[in-house]
Amino acid sequence: MTEHQIPEVKADFSPEEVGKWGMVIDQDLCTGCQACVAACAMENNVSFVGEEDAGYGRGMHWVRIERFWEGEYPKISTSFQPVMCQQCGHAPCEPVCPVFATMHSEAEHLNMQVYNRCIGTRYCANNCPYQARTFNWYDYERPDPLNNQLNPEVTVRRRGIMEKCTFCIQRIRRAEDAAAAEGREVMDGEADPACAQACPADAIIFGRLDDPESRVSKQVRSGRGVKLLEELGTLPQVTYLKGGAGYDRNG
Amino acid sequence: MSKKISRRDFLKLAGAGAAATAVLTGCGPASRYVNREPYTKMPEYTYNGKSTYYATTCRECAAGCGLVVRTMQGRAIKVEGNKLNPVNLGKTCARGQAALQGLYNPDRVQGPLKQPGRGSRDFTEMDWDAAVGVVAGAFKSYQPDEIAFLVGMAPDHLFDLVSDMAKAISGLAPVRYGALGMFEARATLMQAAEAVFGRRDLLHFDLAGAEVTFSFGANFMETWLSPVANTRGFAKMRQGMAGRRGYLVQFEPRMSQTAATADEWIPVAPGTEGLVALAIGSLVSEAAEGTVPPAYADVDLAAIAEKSGVPEETMRRLARIFANTSHALAIPGGSPLGQTNGLDAARAILALNVLADNLGQPGGVFINPPTPLGSNAQRPVSMREMSTLVQKMKNGKIKALFVHGVNPLFELPKALGFEAALVNVPLVVSFASFPDETAMQADFIFPDHTGLESWGYQRVLTGADVAVLSGAQPTVAPFYNTRATADVLLAAVRSVGGKLAAALPFEDEVAYLRHKLLDLVKADGGVYSAPEINTFSAQFQQYGGWWQKENSLGTIDSSRVFARSLSVAEPEYSGEGELHLFPFVSPILAESGANKPWLQEIPDPTTTVMWNTWVEMNPRTAEELGITDDDVVRITTPVGVVEAPVYRYPAIRPDTIAIPFGQGHTAYGRYAQGRGVNPIDLLSIMFNEAGDLAFAGMIVKVEKTGKRRELSRMEGRLGVYGLEEH
Repeated sequence: MTEHQIPEVKADFSPEEVGKWGMVIDQDLCTGCQACVAACAMENNVSFVGEEDAGYGRGMHWVRIERFWEGEYPKISTSFQPVMCQQCGHAPCEPVCPVFATMHSEAEHLNMQVYNRCIGTRYCANNCPYQARTFNWYDYERPDPLNNQLNPEVTVRRRGIMEKCTFCIQRIRRAEDAAAAEGREVMDGEADPACAQACPADAIIFGRLDDPESRVSKQVRSGRGVKLLEELGTLPQVTYLKGGAGYDRNG
Repeated sequence: MSKKISRRDFLKLAGAGAAATAVLTGCGPASRYVNREPYTKMPEYTYNGKSTYYATTCRECAAGCGLVVRTMQGRAIKVEGNKLNPVNLGKTCARGQAALQGLYNPDRVQGPLKQPGRGSRDFTEMDWDAAVGVVAGAFKSYQPDEIAFLVGMAPDHLFDLVSDMAKAISGLAPVRYGALGMFEARATLMQAAEAVFGRRDLLHFDLAGAEVTFSFGANFMETWLSPVANTRGFAKMRQGMAGRRGYLVQFEPRMSQTAATADEWIPVAPGTEGLVALAIGSLVSEAAEGTVPPAYADVDLAAIAEKSGVPEETMRRLARIFANTSHALAIPGGSPLGQTNGLDAARAILALNVLADNLGQPGGVFINPPTPLGSNAQRPVSMREMSTLVQKMKNGKIKALFVHGVNPLFELPKALGFEAALVNVPLVVSFASFPDETAMQADFIFPDHTGLESWGYQRVLTGADVAVLSGAQPTVAPFYNTRATADVLLAAVRSVGGKLAAALPFEDEVAYLRHKLLDLVKADGGVYSAPEINTFSAQFQQYGGWWQKENSLGTIDSSRVFARSLSVAEPEYSGEGELHLFPFVSPILAESGANKPWLQEIPDPTTTVMWNTWVEMNPRTAEELGITDDDVVRITTPVGVVEAPVYRYPAIRPDTIAIPFGQGHTAYGRYAQGRGVNPIDLLSIMFNEAGDLAFAGMIVKVEKTGKRRELSRMEGRLGVYGLEEH
């Protein structure tokens, strides 16, 4: 009987371990303007699904801005929280994929989705506590000439495929290639995903977590940082900065 | 084998598909010409896997943000912000990002069209020579004062060209209009600035340096004046540029996206924002001086609290916050100004800045830097000025109407009668790139290129602390058989001859642009300088415009606001019913985004509704009326009726309903047409003192229809695996 070698494709970070790339989202600055959502869709060839499917929750947004109400009229307040794949260091989506389409990249320390392995079981989406994964229920139409906009660096996904935020891996690769051509390692600030690049409030910042002097690393240590659903132990690579100290409302 | 062919010839070739991937690179003095090279030596923009970037200017609104468009093999594939442009410093909003869905929109007008029966949508194709002939014919057969140009708020170079044309024949000055300008009540803001500071200017509010900002209905993170620059200012304020974390208070009847981001939202009755500003001003000056100064003598706090719904103690608390900081700022937005008492309100709000002593101080109010290339009456017209044009059209005084960059049949209130007046205009030509409502009622459509295929420039009126002229250049070769409107006009001018041709002896649009840029070559203080125009225009294209190195904000040293007693009249409302109507600009779609599918699918920030129009109603009001989510209501005013589903919105005054402006197209392509309703159809024509429309002063009747229409909302999605509500 042959012994099957099951490849190790799950992330298994220890709690103290930091990944390579990370993101920090300052909720005190986020204005909910949706520029990140648009930028992401434009960069990553994300399909639009139309009114009906969007209403069924089949929208393909890789990043969404959650809006929370607190209180009741007239003392009501709102907060916005952009949520995308948290690139967990201990990802619940990875162990459930029967075909290793959802796996962890050793080189980038990122959670990846290999489209041509995916058979559409949707186990990963079921297991993702952040609802960050979207599924192509159909081949969504992109009437000519809208297809001219397709980014050749990003695979166009078909029906039956799961997809999600990649931290704009194509941009990371581009920066790495440029750095490699100069015979050095990629530096903090050389790669920016589309959302961080567009964000008018600079609420989304991206960079090297393994560089303690990088902008993201400093923000992670700022004391305002929290992780989404931290108690699940998923070790996300995205850190949210909670609202700043309140002003004295009594003046 | 290197033969120079002219740009026009080249475009013809490209249009015929012979060289559809070629691009005008715009990277040097020879940018107007393209060399034919053997195919063994590939032009830079056709290398496999290599991107080429072009700096240009966003046309999705008139703010003039700089873009860098990433292209590959002659296709534009991503819009990014231009890091050098002082307006947006590399950032963009959602609408800018989706600009490519305009360029590649499947419903674009693909070539010049003739529509023998207006509104028939039965078009016949024509060629560009015939099109130029139609325009020239108008100039030959009609008197100068019978020809009207109605142009949008962008681009400026075309506005300058038609202004120059009008001047050359002593014709009618072009009329500039855009719905965003209307919702910002720009005429009121500028008139108030003149009354208070002696300068007719949109004013520069230094959000970044403020510690406490009171925004009276200014949706400045959404569409107001220059949203990307404003958002950056806000972020700096929040990060405490002035010392401690900034505090934003938003006064408005419904919680906008800006109010949602603010630290406090004060629900104030529509039309009473000015009164609240007056009350706060009175309290602030009382705190500072011990007594109420004469200018505020007439202020009756209790009465204002009663009318506005803001309790007296809240006003006192807010006045304390405003008074106890050295960097306080007050911003007048569009909705308080779009009221019958709008001018008074604007004065009362601006007066708070005088009390805060922030004029010309960090975190205060400044005069915008002088706009490059002069500022010949570039402001959009007020609704009253627009009604003058409509009257002229109605009386048959306008024989030819040329429309560019604006869609009046969608962006003007129906009650103004533009559509009816259009019938009396013998020749209507639309230069629209998309089959919009106005184009459907035109005799001819001579489609312009979309913004990303165009040359041009846009003056930055506000948003930067230096003078900026944002420059546009084609990022791709024109995708269809469209032609730059400036080229069409200049060709017509040539064929008309006479005074007109003598005044505008330009071969094409680029020659005209270069002529205009000559003034800047000599200007001092630019980020780059060039000895002559060829080098200058090459730099202009590479940088994506021209701007100064050093801050040139004008300071205000005095104000006349307290010379006489401040007062704000009570607002007059139009219509009958129980509820106020508060129309607001959709932060995502704005006035022209509805034909871009991805903008349709981006959830509204506060309601998360996609692809449709909703009516925001306080849950309490809804309960009283027996209405729940997705119930369709009929909203009636003396001039119009619309039906739309309700979204129970927890952050709106119970006496107010709100409807976003942006949907409700009857044309404009497959993604826009027949979707939602247009609240502008409900507005009566009622002006404020500055001539702006009192768009926020309507009272409406709301009835349940018994119909239901389910709205697609992002928020339901969290429950997709079972939980219906969260």
